[in-house]
Amino acid sequence: MNFAWMLYRRLAEAFPHEFKLVYGRDVMQLGEDVVEDIAKRHGAVGLIRLIADIAIRVLLEYLSEMRRDMRYAWRGLIKSPGFALVGVISMGLGMGLTTVVYNSKWQVISRDLPAAANARRLVMPEKPVSYYYIEQYRDQKGLFTGVAAFQTGIPFNVTFHADGNARPERVFGQLVSADYFSVLGVQPQRGRMLSPGLDKPGDAPVVVISDRFWRNRLNSSSDAVGQTLRLNGQPATIVGITPKNFNGALSLNPSELFVPITAPAALAPELGNDVVHQRNAKEFLAMICLAPGVTTDSAEAALDAITRHLDERDPSAPVRADQSRRVTLLSAGSMVPLPRELKRVVVGFYVALMGLIMIIACMNLANMLLARGANRRREWAIRLAVGASRFRLVRQMMSEGILLSLLGGIAGFALAYFISMLAAQFMLPTAVPMESDYTLDWSAAVFVFALAVVSGIAFSLAPALRATKGDMTPALKEGSALRLPGYLRFGLRNLLMVSQVTGLLMLLLITGFLVMGISQVSSIQTKFDPHTMYLLSIDPVRDGYVPEKAEALFEKLPEQLKAVGAVRSVALAAQAPFAIKDEDGTIQLTAEDSRGASRVQISAVEETVGAGYFAALSEPMLAGREFVEPDQRTSADGSKTLPVVLNESASRGFFGNGVAIGGRLRDDQQSYQVVGVVHDLRNGIGISQSVIYLPLTQRNFMRPPADGMTIMVRSDAGTDVLSGIRREIAFLDPNLTIFNMRTLSEHLELSRSAERFAVNTYGGIGVFGLVLAAIGLAGVTSYAVAQRRKEIGVRMALGARKGQVLGLVLREGAALVSAGTVLGLLGAFGAAKLLSAMTNILVDAFKVGTADPRLLVGAPLLLATLAMLACYLPARRAAQIDPLTAIREE
Amino acid sequence: MTDTDCQRFIPLKTHWFHIMLSLAGGEQHGYGIMQEVLNRTTGKVRLWPATLYGSIKRLIEAELIEESDERPAPELDDARRRYYRLTKLGRCVLDAECERLQELVRTIRVKQAMVTE
Repeated sequence: MNFAWMLYRRLAEAFPHEFKLVYGRDVMQLGEDVVEDIAKRHGAVGLIRLIADIAIRVLLEYLSEMRRDMRYAWRGLIKSPGFALVGVISMGLGMGLTTVVYNSKWQVISRDLPAAANARRLVMPEKPVSYYYIEQYRDQKGLFTGVAAFQTGIPFNVTFHADGNARPERVFGQLVSADYFSVLGVQPQRGRMLSPGLDKPGDAPVVVISDRFWRNRLNSSSDAVGQTLRLNGQPATIVGITPKNFNGALSLNPSELFVPITAPAALAPELGNDVVHQRNAKEFLAMICLAPGVTTDSAEAALDAITRHLDERDPSAPVRADQSRRVTLLSAGSMVPLPRELKRVVVGFYVALMGLIMIIACMNLANMLLARGANRRREWAIRLAVGASRFRLVRQMMSEGILLSLLGGIAGFALAYFISMLAAQFMLPTAVPMESDYTLDWSAAVFVFALAVVSGIAFSLAPALRATKGDMTPALKEGSALRLPGYLRFGLRNLLMVSQVTGLLMLLLITGFLVMGISQVSSIQTKFDPHTMYLLSIDPVRDGYVPEKAEALFEKLPEQLKAVGAVRSVALAAQAPFAIKDEDGTIQLTAEDSRGASRVQISAVEETVGAGYFAALSEPMLAGREFVEPDQRTSADGSKTLPVVLNESASRGFFGNGVAIGGRLRDDQQSYQVVGVVHDLRNGIGISQSVIYLPLTQRNFMRPPADGMTIMVRSDAGTDVLSGIRREIAFLDPNLTIFNMRTLSEHLELSRSAERFAVNTYGGIGVFGLVLAAIGLAGVTSYAVAQRRKEIGVRMALGARKGQVLGLVLREGAALVSAGTVLGLLGAFGAAKLLSAMTNILVDAFKVGTADPRLLVGAPLLLATLAMLACYLPARRAAQIDPLTAIREE
Repeated sequence: MTDTDCQRFIPLKTHWFHIMLSLAGGEQHGYGIMQEVLNRTTGKVRLWPATLYGSIKRLIEAELIEESDERPAPELDDARRRYYRLTKLGRCVLDAECERLQELVRTIRVKQAMVTE
C-alpha cells in the first residue's frame, strides 16, 4: 500500500501547473483519505485502479491543455493572417519539396520489391555472367538458398491468339530460369509459377504473365491461364499470373512476360546459338538468395573466389593478372539495385538535401516566431504575473509553431502530390520503357506528419524559450521597450541571420548551377533541319524471321528506301541518334601500342551504327573514313579485328594528341582498329562523353536490340516521305511491324522534356527560395531593429544624425551578410563537387554552371541587396521616430 | 436561461450526473460527494479521486456547478475542504436529465411488461 501511495503522490505532482494550483491539494487529500479504505475493500486490484485512474487523468489534463493551446494558437493565427499565410507557405514549400525527394528518390532505392518474400535476402552480381557460372554458384548450398539466371528488357512481339489479323504488340519481359520465382519468393495469383520440376528443355513453350498484362491486355479474363499467345510468332501457353504489383526484378524497367530460358530460340532470339550452354557467353544476370545468417560481405568474398577460379579454368578468357575484385554484389531486393557503398552515399546525400531544404524553411519559421514572441512579451509578462507557469507559456508558443508546421504539412503534401502527378507523366525515350513509382503512399503521409511535428517542435522551442527568458518586470512596466542582453557576437539572432544567408545562397547557387549548366549544354545543334529526318524501327526476328532472312532484309533495305522519291539518305543504327545511354552502355577499352602492350584504359559509351550514318547526320569525318557496307559483313565473334570510329573525346583519351587512325584497342572479347574520328555529338540530355562507334554486324541483324533496328531517313525539306517508306516496307513484307515512328525533332523534344522539367523544378525552387529569403530576412532584421528603437532614440537625442544611425545598423547587417555569403559560397562549391562525384550526369552541367560569372557574382549580389534592403527599411523607420517619443517609452 | 441552454448538456455523462445528483441536496465537498455516490449506489459506483476532480473542474468550466463560499454549521464543517454547489444552469440541466431518465424508465416498464406477459 505504501508503494501505491507513493506512486499516487508522484502522479498527483505531475498534473499540469494550473490544475495543480487549484485541485492539487484536494486530489492529494482525497487520495490520502481513501487509500486505506480502498486497500481494505478491494485489495491490490483497487490500488491498481486508483493508480490507473490518476495516471490516465494526468494524461487527459495535458491533452486538454494542449487542445486549448491549439485553439488559442488557431485564434492567434486567424488574427494575423499575413503571418499565418507566410508561415504556412514557407513550411509547406519546405515539406512539399522534402516529401518529393523522399518519395521519388529515397523510397525508390529503399522500397522492397513488391510481392517478393525473399526481398531482404536478395543480392545480385553487378556484371552478367554465363549460365555455366550460375550453375557453379548454385552448388554453394551453404551460402545460398537459390541462384536464378535471368535477362531483362527483352522485347516480344505479342499476337493475341483470338484475333488472328491483329497487329502484334511490342511487350517487354524477361527470360528467366525455372527457379526464378522460388528464388525471389513470389507466389502465383492464378495458375502456377515456373519450376525446375515442371519446365524442362524441349517442353512445349510456356509463359508466365504479370498481373498488369492480365488486366490491361487480357481484360482480367478468368480463363487466361491455359490460353495460348503468339510470342515473336511462336505459340506459348500461359501457365500462371504473378501477384499484383509484381513487375519482375529490376522493376525500374517493368516486365510483363516471363519466358523460361528453356524456350526455343525461335521464340526469343536472345536464346540463339545455344547461349545457355556457351561457357563464355556472359549474357545472364544472377539473382541470389542468401542463406539465413550469411552476410553480403562473406557471400561477395566467396563468389569472388569461385569466379576467379572459373575464369582461370576458362581457356577462351583472356589472362587477367589483376587482383581487384571480380564480383561486386548489389542488394537486389529493391526497385533500383545499388552497390552497398554507393547506397550509403546516396542515402546520405538525400538526407542532406532534405535537411537543407527543411532547415531553410524552419529557419524562416523560427525567425518569424522570434519576432512575434518579442512583440508579445508584455502579454507573456502579464500572464506570468497572474500565475501561468513559464513551461505553460513555452508550450503555448510552441503550439503556434506546431500548428503552423502541421498546416504547412498539409500544404506540403498537396504540393508533393501535385509534383508527383506531373512527374509521373514524364517518359524518357529509353529503349526499354522505364517506370518510377511516383505515387505517394501512406508512408509519405506519415513522413510529412512526423516532419511537421518534429520541425515544429524543434524550431519553435528556441524562440519560445527566448521570449519568456529573463526578468519580465520591465516588460510589464514599460510597454514593449525591453531591457535585453547587449550585442552578442554569437547570439541566436545573428546565428539565424548568418545561417539563413548561407543556406539560401547555397540553394540559389546549386539550383543556378544546374539550371544554367543544363540549359547551356543541352542545346543539341544538328547540322540540318531535324524535321527532315524520320526515325522508325523494325525488328524482323521478332516478326518470325530466321536470322539469315533478317540479315538479307537489312542488306537490301537501305537501297530499297533510297528509291523512294525525295529521300536523300538512309542509314541504319542499333539506337536512335543522340540516344541517352546509361552506365550499362559503356565498355572498358585498352589502347595498345604497336608491340601489343597496353597503354591506357578508359571506359567509353558504345554505339552501334551502320554504313553512311555520319553522312546522314551531315557530320564530316575529322580524320579517316566512316563505315561502309563491307564493314557490316564482319563477324563479331572475336576472331577478327573490328573497324571502329571514335569521337574526339575518346580519341584524345586513348591517343592524346597523336594520330588515332590505325590505332588498336581491345576489350576482353574483341580487338578493334580505329578507322575514323568524328566531332563529339551531344546526346539527348546534352552530355558529351567518350564514344566508340562500332559497325553493325550480323550479330546485330540476328538479334536487334530492345528498341529494334532504327532506320534513319533524311528527306528534302517540306516533303512527307512517310507514306512512301511504309509502302516500300509493306512491299518487301506486309507482315513487318513498324514501330517508334517519329521525326528526329520529335525524338529530341522527348529527350529534352525530362531536363526541361528538371530546369523548371530547380528554377522554381530557386525562385521560391528567394521569396522565402526576402520574407525571412525582413523578419529577422526588423525584429533586430525593433529591439534597438530605444537605443536609436537615445543616440539621436544625444545628437546622432540619421545617416549615422542608418550606418550603424547597416554595418552590422553587412558583417553578418558577408559571413553568410562566404560560408554559402564554400558550401555551394562543396555540394557541387559532391554531386558531380556522385553522378556523371551532372558533371558537365556543374562544369559549365560553376564557371559562369553571372551566377557567381549575381547570386550573392542579389541576396546581399535583398538582405541590406531588409536592414535598411526598418532602420529608416526607426531613425524617423521622434527621439523624445522613443525615450519617453522608458 | 432558455431550455436550449439546458438541453445542450443532455444526455449528461454518467460521472457528471452522479456528482450533480449528490449536490442536489446542498453544498458538498469532494470527499462527501464520493461517499454519497458510494452509499447511494450501494458501492456499485465509485468516483476515483482524480476522475472526481477532473469532472469537477470541467463542471465548473461548463458553469454547471460552482465553488461555494457558504460553510455548513461549524460542528459539521471540514475546514480543509472546498465546498461545491449547483448553479442555476446546473439545476436546470439536472432537472432536464432527470426528466429524460424518467421518461426512459416509463418506456422500459411498458416494454418489460410486454416481455414478461
